[in-house]
Amino acid sequence: MSKYDISVDEMEAKLRPPTIGLKPYEPKVIPLTSGEDMLVRPASREETEMVMNGIRVLLDHEKDFYDIVSARIIAELLGMLRYRVQDEYLFLGLVDGEVAGIVNGRIVNEKVGMSYHTMTLKRGARVGAQLFAAKMEYHFDFMNQDEVWIVAESPNGFKRWMIEYELESRPECPHELGGVPTFVLTRALWEKHKANKNVGIRPAFEDVIEANKVAHMPAQIKV
Amino acid sequence: MRQVGIVGVGHTKFGKSTVPFLDMLCEAGLQAMDDAGAKTGRKNVIDQVFVGSMGSGMVSRISGAASAVVDALNIRPAGAETVENGPASGASAVKLGVMAIASGMNDCVLVIGGEGMRAVSGWEGTDFVATMLHPVAEYKYGCTLPSFAGLYTRLCMDKFGVESKDLAIVAVKNHENACHNPVSHIQRKVVLERITNPAYINATNPLVADPLRQFDMCPVSDGAAAVLLVAKDKQEEFGFGDKKFVRIAGIASATDTHVVANREVPTDLLAVRLSAQKAYKMAGMGPDDIDVAELHDAFQILEIEEAEEVGFFPRGEGHLAVRRGETKIGGKIPINTSGGLKAKGHPLGATGVSQIVELVKQLRGEATDRQVEGAKTGLAVNFGGFGNNVVSTILTTK
Amino acid sequence: MEQMYAYKCKKCGKLHHPRYIVCQNPDCDGREFEEIPLEGKCKLLTWTRVYNLPEGYMQPWLNFGIVEFENGVRATGQIGFDDGIESGMELVSTVGVVRTRRILYKETIDSQEYGFIFQKA
Repeated sequence: MSKYDISVDEMEAKLRPPTIGLKPYEPKVIPLTSGEDMLVRPASREETEMVMNGIRVLLDHEKDFYDIVSARIIAELLGMLRYRVQDEYLFLGLVDGEVAGIVNGRIVNEKVGMSYHTMTLKRGARVGAQLFAAKMEYHFDFMNQDEVWIVAESPNGFKRWMIEYELESRPECPHELGGVPTFVLTRALWEKHKANKNVGIRPAFEDVIEANKVAHMPAQIKV
Repeated sequence: MRQVGIVGVGHTKFGKSTVPFLDMLCEAGLQAMDDAGAKTGRKNVIDQVFVGSMGSGMVSRISGAASAVVDALNIRPAGAETVENGPASGASAVKLGVMAIASGMNDCVLVIGGEGMRAVSGWEGTDFVATMLHPVAEYKYGCTLPSFAGLYTRLCMDKFGVESKDLAIVAVKNHENACHNPVSHIQRKVVLERITNPAYINATNPLVADPLRQFDMCPVSDGAAAVLLVAKDKQEEFGFGDKKFVRIAGIASATDTHVVANREVPTDLLAVRLSAQKAYKMAGMGPDDIDVAELHDAFQILEIEEAEEVGFFPRGEGHLAVRRGETKIGGKIPINTSGGLKAKGHPLGATGVSQIVELVKQLRGEATDRQVEGAKTGLAVNFGGFGNNVVSTILTTK
Repeated sequence: MEQMYAYKCKKCGKLHHPRYIVCQNPDCDGREFEEIPLEGKCKLLTWTRVYNLPEGYMQPWLNFGIVEFENGVRATGQIGFDDGIESGMELVSTVGVVRTRRILYKETIDSQEYGFIFQKA
């Protein structure tokens, strides 16, 4: 029972968002270029709280925009924990139990998804690229949506998402993250690029699931 | 011709440098001097320094690197020149050192090769490396060095039957060797299944320049390596008498067309063949005399094709030899015992010197777990541009 | 409309691409060339799709190829389509913008550079 699990009286019920019903994301194993296996699976509420607290150390890390990304992720995860954001998900990329990266976003309605963030804690193994593809897989192949709205805070992000997926520029779409130029991954673009971008072994290997049953943050976050 | 040999070697750990570019060059230089017992200041015997680097000016923003090094190491008033020949800058610097001594103009030359490529982003690094290409016929299109490796690999696959798996086998061998090399950038074994299984190859071994994948090409590395050359007739006088004299028996370079499309036979590495032939001639040796080789494998396809062009295997059969394990340590002709550029790393200007340092270690019997038994003669091939300027070096203790 | 050229040695007639300073015929020392339009049908000798592009390129990938024209002249260029690229296929050359280069000098200029873009014949 965490401090965020408050009782739901009439007032609280008025403040909580409705849900369209999130389908479960089936875990998968992605062998990394570094030689290790990464398990991608949804985070539990406890793990969400752990990640939210664990990335506070990056609030002062300006390089590669980790400061703004961590600040926003903390707000998003807190919103999820306090039931103030509708249909948000958080997936973890885990290597031997350690969080290598995280991705989050939310389902706006049946057709549209809102991508929030991708944060890599284990750099140099394309963890971010794999996790981004995994969350797009969730929007399109699990939740059967038509399109996902995406913005980027860093040049790295822009190159990896906007350029590599050939995202459609739609500045008129008001992305929830501050009104910066929005780009859209449409179903057509997903179908075009997914063979190259989206990998994973399902069902996930038993030993990898076991090794990542209990998640922990890296002892020292070096980005 | 006056005999020239190596009495000292130095090599930084390749990877991400924690010190500035000049410091890295000096670290390698001092290691070579200490290895030989050469002194700085008034007791200095070095009368010439060559520094080989492609990006010293463009990337590291240091012009006149050799001049800076001479001062930093307190070996003024030695002559100093910085040498640029793309990725063959290192071996070119050694070649000039040999020429300086053989001609009688100098007696003791310090050669350092170095590069600080990780100072810029991967995309900028790709652009910097691409400046070797023809500005109008190639660079203008956005071609990169890996592009030409991809174009070339496809030709070799079509003509000789080289397969993707053959490239992966070479990478696995080089990673295995690098695990025994403490200065190697990457010291991690790679399992063949992991980088070839079609179920997840897009994750473990993504395409970079179709048909080349990530494990078919070298990483981006910082690093420096150095050798101290001395004339045989001065070895005793300069205080290096107790050091093993590893003689440079042959060193030669050759050029080919700048525009890759205009190569006479597209699958030929003519500059490799001609420079090796010239070096063999100078040394009075042939391919069968070579016990161990360092062949420039910026792209794994090059290790295979260079092995053929220098005469180790018949043309078009190098990949078959790889499948038979003939290029492993203990095999018929061990290639890239250092881990090659693939795993040891490829700081462009350092590579040519680094290859020679590895051969010296082999010929001195100092290569520990990667030692080739009884190695007496070694060959290094340093590939500049996309094969339009190649330097071949033969070292021997015979 | 931009045009690509082969360069014909005025002394011996050998065709070159790109422009050279000295005739590449080993038995000729010609230094003057005549511009001959280089265009039309060509054979694809080899090709690649490159995902890691240099700084400044805003595409997920680019296709490059080396072709040989009917007159024997070879050239490198971009391939303007994605599906069904095969070594040995017949292509036709077109000329288009292959790069926009930002020149920072006294004032910033975006210079468009033209080159070969090969299309299906």
